Amino acid sequence: MKNTLLALSSVALLALASCSSKSTPTPVTTDAEGTVITEFVNVVANPDYAAINDNAVKLQAAVTLLISTPNAANLLAAQNAWKATREPWESCEGFLFGPVEDNDYDPTMDSWPLNKTDVDARLASSDVFTTSYIDGLDGTAKGFHGIEYIIFGEGGAKKATDVTAREKLYLAASTTSLVATTQALRDSWDASKGNYSATVTTAGKGSAVYKTRKDVFKAMVGAMSDICGEVGTSKMEDPYAARDSTLDESSFSHNSTVDFTNNIKGILNVYTCTYGGKTGSASLSTLVAAKNASLDAKIKTQYNAVLASFATITHTFEKAIYDQRAQVKATQDAIATLQSTLDVDLNAFVEANIKD
Amino acid sequence: MKKLTVVGVLAILVLVLSQCQKAATFPDTGYDARLSGGVATVFDITSHAFSNMFPGLSDRDQIVHAFGDAAFSKIFVTAPAPVNSGLGTIFNNNSCISCHHNDGIGLPTAGDSRSSLLVRISLPGTDAHGGPVAVPGYGLQLQDKAVYGKVPEAKININYTNTTYSFADGETYELRAPTYTLTNLYTAITGNYLLSPRLAPPMFGLGLLEAVPESEIVAMADPNDADGDGIKGKPNYVWDVATQSRQLGRFGWKANTASILTQVAAAYNQDIGITSRIFPVESSFGQTQDDGLKDDPELPDSTLNAVRFYAATLAVPARRSVTDPDAQRGEALFKAAKCAVCHRQTLTTAVNVSFPSISNQVIHPYTDMLVHDMGTGLADNRPDFLAGGQEWRTASLWGLGLFEKVNSPGYYLHDGRARSVTEAIMWHGGEAESAKVYFSKLSKSDRTLVLKFLGSL
Repeated sequence: MKNTLLALSSVALLALASCSSKSTPTPVTTDAEGTVITEFVNVVANPDYAAINDNAVKLQAAVTLLISTPNAANLLAAQNAWKATREPWESCEGFLFGPVEDNDYDPTMDSWPLNKTDVDARLASSDVFTTSYIDGLDGTAKGFHGIEYIIFGEGGAKKATDVTAREKLYLAASTTSLVATTQALRDSWDASKGNYSATVTTAGKGSAVYKTRKDVFKAMVGAMSDICGEVGTSKMEDPYAARDSTLDESSFSHNSTVDFTNNIKGILNVYTCTYGGKTGSASLSTLVAAKNASLDAKIKTQYNAVLASFATITHTFEKAIYDQRAQVKATQDAIATLQSTLDVDLNAFVEANIKD
Repeated sequence: MKKLTVVGVLAILVLVLSQCQKAATFPDTGYDARLSGGVATVFDITSHAFSNMFPGLSDRDQIVHAFGDAAFSKIFVTAPAPVNSGLGTIFNNNSCISCHHNDGIGLPTAGDSRSSLLVRISLPGTDAHGGPVAVPGYGLQLQDKAVYGKVPEAKININYTNTTYSFADGETYELRAPTYTLTNLYTAITGNYLLSPRLAPPMFGLGLLEAVPESEIVAMADPNDADGDGIKGKPNYVWDVATQSRQLGRFGWKANTASILTQVAAAYNQDIGITSRIFPVESSFGQTQDDGLKDDPELPDSTLNAVRFYAATLAVPARRSVTDPDAQRGEALFKAAKCAVCHRQTLTTAVNVSFPSISNQVIHPYTDMLVHDMGTGLADNRPDFLAGGQEWRTASLWGLGLFEKVNSPGYYLHDGRARSVTEAIMWHGGEAESAKVYFSKLSKSDRTLVLKFLGSL
């Protein structure tokens, strides 16, 4: 999953660290690092997970309205509500660690591709689509892409009057199931529920998962890097290389480029501790800026270059892989550049500066 | 640009290492104890610690590994489909990664999308190749899921009975003993059948284990306990479908699979329902679930080979705390208890000039790759080639301390019955009975040292 550079640089750093441990004093521990972790949990992680659930609840309301009153305005509202739920979900993939992976919330909500053969067969059957029926299905028959298939249709050509009675039942139960999963994800971090937040904030002070604070920082940087790889070398590369738009992530809604952009935005959210217009009092960025201002600037510049490159993809991604190939490739390259900086430079910074 | 950086990092690494030859770092053996996988070791303590490719692969090999990595994550769907077609029709899960979460150990449940436990089935006796006898209508593995419109072979029910025991010092611990029963059989089975549950194992380091010379493994065997220490150990020899020959078994909880290639192809075929060059016949062939499609083999050879390469080139996470005095005392106790007789610290891979990453490497997998009698408590009573009903291959222990992080909360042993390393130790029996008793008689603080050592792996 990760590249050679990361591994090599970790070996180099470890060698450096073990070599110098006797000749240089251990850096003084400050509480700044603890604050960065706490602020990440309070300003980014919890609010992002809460936003997914809030928007899923709104999606459910829009779907309910679409089902009772199927007209163009209500279909558009449901489609927009789907996209609005997608946004915080994609950005939270910038910190894909903890319950979201441990409890499989990701594949439950966002498996790809859709098992269209199965879904079509179920729609053609006389099965009763209760919520527990949908809950029991594999991720490929429900979740974001199951809902997307029904409300956008193939090629995004769905009309309100096209939504069949069976599809309405499937849609209603799928949306209820999605809301439940987003709620479980939110609750898993909620201090009054699953409280994974405490697992993170007690890093190095009794956390069962994070023996040191450095563990959390490594997890954050690792997740930031991983989503670069996921977007650049998988989600974009597969349809680009094969020149096949059926390999696009959100091809029904033509939302792929927006999905990718929000994935990458998740990186900056983590790095600068920003979410929903709020910024934490301390962040990885402030730590880096205090000791290596040029690295901080480099990360931000390279991040901005990725976003600027995404903006040059003006067609749907389904179309761009055929007629804006240069722009797609340039964006992938920009992502690779950012990933390399995260893997090598930011990892090196964490190794060298986060000691406890 | 990237190459320059690699060269730069390498140069720094060489410079630093060359200035750093201290006794504290390098023991008398000349090998750094942290390098569990030799040059195929990575320093990663995150939840993705098992997902790193070997350092130093060529550009071409990196591309093949990445291709295999992507294929390992691909989710299959019901045929016909434009993308990832061919799931099932009966299966255990729909992708490699959905059982091998984060390339690690799985979750011990059966029948839902998060499940990573499968159950092998057979009739008593041996087949023409000395292996288990397939059950008519079922084969050798139960597929407990099916695509829409098809019936799973069975529902697997797992029930645990909790019992509390005490260490010699009075502290209590609990073991949960599983029982496995089948309901909803799609067709009747005549006669007694044997079941063996198997949890998806971690994926890293397999290329190194495949490269250990057969002679080195066989030399550790002591099938008649000639040295009288109560510990035997024997190699399993199995029928290898890929080479159509009898080979040393290396992989699987009973060492019933000879090579990574066969393991990967068998898992595609039996676990996901994807046919390949090596297993071109659907697991549902001849059964009522068969879809009758003429789409086999479903997996391109290039993909099979890339996934094999991926599985062979996942790097081993480095040990931590090797100079920690507590971990060192724990290691001494681990050896004094004779755990290390089977959980062999060090093996050396064969010379392979075509693949330097696995050539002549001193590795620390903590396994002898032999099967041992582990007692009645762990027995599945289902022989698998030469491995008897109480015999299991010594599990490798490298990366053990990271299981909790990679696959939280972490499960252990062949069916995930153990919820902690302590429970896993206390399940040991048979040839490992005395080692377990030794551990159970240790003081609490000494047990903690052993766990600290195991946690450093």
